Amino acid sequence: MASTSRGDSLPKVQCPNHPDAILVEDYRAGDMICPECGLVVGDRVIDVGSEWRTFTNEKATNDPSRVGDAQNPLLNGGDLSTMISKGTGAASFDEFGNSKYQNRRTMSSADRAMLNAFKEITTMSDRINLPRNIIDRTNNLFKQVYEQKSLKGRSNDAIASACLYIACRQEGVPRTFKEICAVSRISKKEIGRCFKLILKALETSVDLITTGDFMSRFCSNLGLPKQVQIAATYIARKAVELDLVPGRSPISVAAAAIYMASQASAEKKTQKEIGDIAGVADVTIRQSYRLIYPRAADLFPPDFKFDTPVDKLPQL
Amino acid sequence: MEQNNSLTPFPPGLASPQGAMTPVLPIFSPMMPYGTGLTPQPVQNTNSLSLLEEQQRQQQQQQQQQAAASQQQSGMVGGSGQTPQLYHSQVSTTTALPGNTPLYTTPLTPMTPITPATPASESSGIVPQLQNIVSTVNLGCKLDLKTIALRARNAEYNPKRFAAVIMRIREPRTTALIFSSGKMVCTGAKSEEQSRLAARKYARVVQKLGFPAKFLDFKIQNMVGSCDVKFPIRLEGLVLTHQQFSSYEPELFPGLIYRMIKPRIVLLIFVSGKVVLTGAKVRGEIYEAFENIYPILKGFRKTT
Repeated sequence: MASTSRGDSLPKVQCPNHPDAILVEDYRAGDMICPECGLVVGDRVIDVGSEWRTFTNEKATNDPSRVGDAQNPLLNGGDLSTMISKGTGAASFDEFGNSKYQNRRTMSSADRAMLNAFKEITTMSDRINLPRNIIDRTNNLFKQVYEQKSLKGRSNDAIASACLYIACRQEGVPRTFKEICAVSRISKKEIGRCFKLILKALETSVDLITTGDFMSRFCSNLGLPKQVQIAATYIARKAVELDLVPGRSPISVAAAAIYMASQASAEKKTQKEIGDIAGVADVTIRQSYRLIYPRAADLFPPDFKFDTPVDKLPQL
Repeated sequence: MEQNNSLTPFPPGLASPQGAMTPVLPIFSPMMPYGTGLTPQPVQNTNSLSLLEEQQRQQQQQQQQQAAASQQQSGMVGGSGQTPQLYHSQVSTTTALPGNTPLYTTPLTPMTPITPATPASESSGIVPQLQNIVSTVNLGCKLDLKTIALRARNAEYNPKRFAAVIMRIREPRTTALIFSSGKMVCTGAKSEEQSRLAARKYARVVQKLGFPAKFLDFKIQNMVGSCDVKFPIRLEGLVLTHQQFSSYEPELFPGLIYRMIKPRIVLLIFVSGKVVLTGAKVRGEIYEAFENIYPILKGFRKTT
């Protein structure tokens, strides 16, 4: 009657008439019912729901149906320890104003560094408004690197920053090293070193960055309209295809393309403004602009509305 | 000697069956005699610091090289030039020829290449030039850096910044770091012989200052070479196909860093077609690495 057809470790109850049917759990009555014939197969199933119901419009800040914080089993190794909290109310303070029972230490020294790093990752990501999926990916990467111990000597913050960079790349929305530097206390050099070490340690690789990856972010930070952004994307792509800018970093080419597109439109931005947003020096934009300027007429998309015609574009 | 034809390639450094040292000649490029880099012969390991001897030895080697080069042109049969031979320029301390330098007794016969030549490709015809050699030597006695810094010319010593005397000489234009333990690092030479000669000169300077300097364990630690393939390269394509060896991050460095495994060499490959090779202990590794990468780079030539 109770046959284990799937060979898993827990014995499973089956409906005797329909061994393949998946049983439906009826939690109110505590039964397991076969959906084919309606036979109640198991009864007196223990209810694992919450013991009492809470009504959300009550102002009670504590939720009695939850015991402990939400577990993060993927990242913490299933640690079930609890801590005694600070204590509320007047009785928790002794006569000098110090709180009784200050012991809050040693919750899990093995994972303490990892938890600190996760906190740091969340802080960094919040500064640049990264979505939850990137944060999760970063946490996973950090966990893998941490468990491997091959980068053990490096600062955890550096590894966390590098993991953040890799996660952004892997999700298809790369951030420049300078953007990661802006939210981290680690230097670009160190983040770059850790980045290469992590790629080697995890034996992964990342896609090469392209000019188009940064267009939407830079253009919206500059407040440029959508037409200009589309034009800049087209210009940068064409410039790379025509190999007008060999050896230049894609960020510099993107910045120069944005400059050209904005100068041809009604919303003109200076090189300095674009340099501030993109993290490139304005002389770098000037250099790349000089390379694409001669072919400016070919680079614009065919349906672009020029506010300033191509021959009136600034020549530096 | 007829026996040479049937000989399987013996590793350079070992004596041939005839008993005499047949010097192993590099056949990395059949047409081009390479510049002033000399054919280092397995030399007797003299610890004496006689620079005159050293220079005489080098001159003799130069003469032999020229004689050999002319013989080489006539005696060479082509076809073995695809991959450069493993070129041992290390000093072999086991061969002590009493006094006389080995002469070329036999007209040169083509050596069977140690690494099998790929028949489909031909040699690139480009020879990487050595740009820097880093070598170390042990002078064998403790040194007082302060006296060296005060009495020697062209020496700087700033113990708060770095714990060694930095000395420079003009003749092979090199720089040496001399440590108080007696060990010395010599950098900046353009060939193995120059590095050795320069190290000897530094040791001579130290000796003249009164320290019982010897010349122990001279070893070349790193060799850097560079060359130009003369066509632009598509680095993005290269990083896509050779992902496990390449690292190309334009934000970090404009060149592609290729870590070759077979001779363990790191190559910096640039869009312009210039290639820098480093990490070699012997000259042949640089040549071998370049011959390995050249067909790959040809495949990623920019067509516009």
